Amino acid sequence: MTAPLLSARRLSFRYGEREVLREVDLDLHPGRVTILLGPNGSGKSTLIRVLSGVLPSGGGEVLLAGRPPGSYGRREMARLLSVVGQDPPVDFPMTVAAYVALGRFPHQGLFGGTSAADREEVERALVVTGLDLLRDRALPEISAGERQRATVARAIAQGARVMLLDEPTAFLDIRHRVAFYEIVTRLAGTRGVAALVASHDLTLCAEYGERIVLLSEGAVASQGRPEEVLTPSSIRAAYGVAVACDRNPATGAVRVTPLRGTLAGDNLPLHPPKDQECPPEGESVRVDEGKEKR
Amino acid sequence: MTGGAAGRGSRAVFPALVAAFLGALALSAATGPVAIPLRKAVDALLHGGDDTPARVLLSLRLPRALLGALVGGALASSGVAFQALLRNPLADPYILGVSGGAAVGALTVALFLSADASAALPFFAFVGAALSALAVFLLARRKSGVSPERLILMGVVVGAFLNAVIMLMVTLSPPGKIPGALYWLMGDLGLGTPRRVAALFPYVALGVAVLLLLSRGLDLLLLGDQAAFQTGLSVERVKTATYLTASLLAGSVVAVSGLIGFVGLIVPHGARVLVGSGHRRLLPAAFLLGGAFLVLSDTIARAASPAGELPVGAVTALAGAPFFLYLLRRNGGRS
Repeated sequence: MTAPLLSARRLSFRYGEREVLREVDLDLHPGRVTILLGPNGSGKSTLIRVLSGVLPSGGGEVLLAGRPPGSYGRREMARLLSVVGQDPPVDFPMTVAAYVALGRFPHQGLFGGTSAADREEVERALVVTGLDLLRDRALPEISAGERQRATVARAIAQGARVMLLDEPTAFLDIRHRVAFYEIVTRLAGTRGVAALVASHDLTLCAEYGERIVLLSEGAVASQGRPEEVLTPSSIRAAYGVAVACDRNPATGAVRVTPLRGTLAGDNLPLHPPKDQECPPEGESVRVDEGKEKR
Repeated sequence: MTGGAAGRGSRAVFPALVAAFLGALALSAATGPVAIPLRKAVDALLHGGDDTPARVLLSLRLPRALLGALVGGALASSGVAFQALLRNPLADPYILGVSGGAAVGALTVALFLSADASAALPFFAFVGAALSALAVFLLARRKSGVSPERLILMGVVVGAFLNAVIMLMVTLSPPGKIPGALYWLMGDLGLGTPRRVAALFPYVALGVAVLLLLSRGLDLLLLGDQAAFQTGLSVERVKTATYLTASLLAGSVVAVSGLIGFVGLIVPHGARVLVGSGHRRLLPAAFLLGGAFLVLSDTIARAASPAGELPVGAVTALAGAPFFLYLLRRNGGRS
């Protein structure tokens, strides 16, 4: 296996007193799509912010292409690493094409012109994400899902080997979710991109993720291949919800199905309580196809 | 097209804007109680002249028109920069304390310096504007940088404090000392002498040039600080440079023309409708549109009240609001 493009060792971060990341170990290898799972507030977004240098790490080590991120200039780093974050919408009437073109900034700088390569990359990103017909539309006029695709296109145009994507499919319909994972998988295959995708979509993660990292309360609860991480016990421990796991007969990938009516209690918990009564693991693993509807 | 054009017909926009800008200058120079034939005007422009029409043109009307063009252009450019910096389409050049500081500076002159101190007024107004802008910036700054929210918050706090100081100065001053300064605060281009225009020009040229150089950085600021940083921008450096430059522009303009409202807030929106949000096109378009708009407003003000002075600020709002409403509505309320 080649050396990782991005690796974190014992990475920690705290907001004041609150520990948000605890000694996270993570490796992103070229050509591989890694999925970052974890419940709301488990530290996924914070991890992506720390890895991209927006937040200073509170301990531990990060290496980007073998060097600490602080040793790169801002544009140099942006040529190596791009991010799709959860950013506020742009309230100005910028066109989709102009927005995607901003991704070329690390190759241009403040004063540089737009090269043929810049135009080509922007064009490719627009076509790949299916936005070429929307190119002249203003951002405030398109839907949230289309804006999200535009953000992915901007990151693709940036042309970095490492891509960190924070819930990039949250607003997408199923067709565009699938398209997104196809695009990322293709970028990994053709350009050797190392991608980290934070997501809540367990089904598609199992289909497309070569490796899954499951965060819980800021620590890595488990990581490995989908079938190693997506088990009823690990999902119950992290999310506090009972699921059935089997194999999808069509694809052979792990399939996770939440079990109805298993969040006990009159008032549903917003956070997974520590001593939640869940059905014992043995029962939740197998569910008969015919019985599940009721 | 990656320059952020708004679409149809955008190629003809700049020639049209330049024509409007020059046309407004010409109209302003031609308007007034003394009729100046075109042949005489051309003659005066080329060779100078000593008769009344030539002197009216060269030392009164043209400086006033040029001052209007510089002030309007600078206010619009400064507004564009503040709106990008604060990611807020409602920002204007005065939002962060420049106006209050300038007012305190101007009133200080009126109160504490002798009667013929009107020459010192622009200088003190500029110092006041610069000091308050700097205070807002330093108060808003934290280790992690300057966030738009904190800038606005500190701008409001400093503005409220300066307003209290203004009230105090007005209340405690002996009668008769203040009206001149208050009138000046309403905004007026009457200070347009050739010397003033020449003094203002370098500030405006420098300020607009720096903003133009920063234009790609301003584009990126629209993404939000975090995304701009992750796209490779040295966010804090660009924000500091933008803030200082836009404040300098607003402060130097306030110093020679008082507080002319509306231009810095609305003209950027009109310019965005015409050329889109890319700052490389937006800044020049806003400068031309703002200059033309203010010169026209001043011409209207002079025509409407040849003797008494109708403040140009009243006209900018009166004539400008409907026009820009039309512009914005026609575009489906995009910006």
